[in-house]
Amino acid sequence: MTPAWMSAVRIRGFLPGVLRGGLLLVLLGLTGLAAAVDVVAHRGVSVGAISLASARALFGMRQVKWPDGAQVRVFVLADGHPVHAAFCKEKLNLYPYQLRQSWDRLVFSGLAQAPTEVASEEELIARVAATPGAIGYVRKVRPHDPVKLLDVQ
Amino acid sequence: MSNNRSARVGLAGILLALTCAPVVAVDLGAGVQFHGFVSQGLIHTSDNNFGGTSDDGIATDARELGVNLSWRPNPDWLLSGQVLSRWAGETDEGGPRIDYAFVERALFNDGAHQISLSLGKIKNPYGFFNTTRDVAHTRPGILLPQSIYMERMRDFFLAAPGVALRGEHDSGDHYLGWQVGGMKMQADNDELNYVFLPVNTGGRFEGRASWLAQGLAELDGARWRAGLSFGDVAMDYRPRARDPIPAGVARMRPLLLSLQHNRESWTFTAELARVEVISQPIAYQAYSEGAYIQATWRPALEWSVWLRREGMHFNVDDKAGRRYTVRGQETYRGRTHATVLGVRHDFTPDLALSAEWHRIEGVGMLSPQDNPDGFTKDWDMVLLQAAYRF
Repeated sequence: MTPAWMSAVRIRGFLPGVLRGGLLLVLLGLTGLAAAVDVVAHRGVSVGAISLASARALFGMRQVKWPDGAQVRVFVLADGHPVHAAFCKEKLNLYPYQLRQSWDRLVFSGLAQAPTEVASEEELIARVAATPGAIGYVRKVRPHDPVKLLDVQ
Repeated sequence: MSNNRSARVGLAGILLALTCAPVVAVDLGAGVQFHGFVSQGLIHTSDNNFGGTSDDGIATDARELGVNLSWRPNPDWLLSGQVLSRWAGETDEGGPRIDYAFVERALFNDGAHQISLSLGKIKNPYGFFNTTRDVAHTRPGILLPQSIYMERMRDFFLAAPGVALRGEHDSGDHYLGWQVGGMKMQADNDELNYVFLPVNTGGRFEGRASWLAQGLAELDGARWRAGLSFGDVAMDYRPRARDPIPAGVARMRPLLLSLQHNRESWTFTAELARVEVISQPIAYQAYSEGAYIQATWRPALEWSVWLRREGMHFNVDDKAGRRYTVRGQETYRGRTHATVLGVRHDFTPDLALSAEWHRIEGVGMLSPQDNPDGFTKDWDMVLLQAAYRF
């Protein structure tokens, strides 16, 4: 992301304005896509970044404990919610139907509990902020949202 | 009459669940969750009875109803239990029973790797679908492929009291899960006499120490899934007084390969099983085999359509089913070949309606208990199902 921005700044001086604007739009579009969904956690959660493997284990309801021993609480949006679909594909590299099948298999064989589904991104932020150990996702965290942004690496 | 009445009870159950669901708190707080499912099926067959009196009529006693509770008092412990009622012709008449009830303790947990130990009545991992085979929403159609997941063997193979060690490992985009369990199968089921003897002279089977194992790998974000299930399941035959069949051990040694490829709008699934069947009381040893391949297409989030081709033989050395038969039974009793076409519409994320058509040759999947007057070799079956879960 950073090198792309730097190159955009570097070429600003000699490209015609129209082309420059178009290039910036494309770059903005690309960065927008790459960071389309933010993973958020309760502010008390002891980590600032998680691996892809850990993200998949957390939202797959397999990892139920944070490194400091605190219990994980997972909040999600409905299967048909566009932010849920974007989250599954971009952050977990899964299709939403795969995640649902996986949850159903675990919940109805007793091997794990289901995530808590909330109705909107606003509710998700509120629930994550109020629940110790909580993790969830939204389209874009706003500066005043009382949650922690988790980087998925 | 009673069938119609019980069908109405089933449909009423679905409606009741639908009405109540919004007010039923799934998350009860303090680490306790409550979930459930209900389905009602209608089955019509051109010949032969499946799941009730379906021949030239409509069997309405195909119904599943289950609720479960789970409690995670802290991250290292999980207590889970599910009660199930199921109606399916003569072989199942709705008595509620414990589907599973176990306690699980995490032995190791470092984020991407989990290992845990379970004790209690545990679902047997076998292929992609055995552990949740009674939950309509988890099946790839109305009926699970009978070539691998025979309804006749369901009770016996579903769950058993025992102990299991389970591991799950996430690495980047990949996942590996495994489970090894020791158990004693619950074998007090008349249908086993027809499968292992294969006549019912009134004796009973009793579970012996058995084991089952499964490994499941998921690659590239579970776009590819591959599983291997195997084990050794044994039971003792206890003859009744003056039983013409002597005491002895019956044994099944299954080996099942499962493969799946997931794409955005398509899923391709294939499973292939080879099961060694040994029945000491009648000095029988054979390999049975079963396989299916299914393509599922999801043109939209709430629609799916599938096509499946499947086949099963009780004895691979006798695909025509000649030697398997005893006492003048028809040869096609030892096999089932079928083509299945189905469609499902999800009216809400939790309510689905499905329809399925089966074109079948052979009757290996059918219970003699449902068909006292004998069998017809070529037959068709149409199923409709409404299913709800929360």
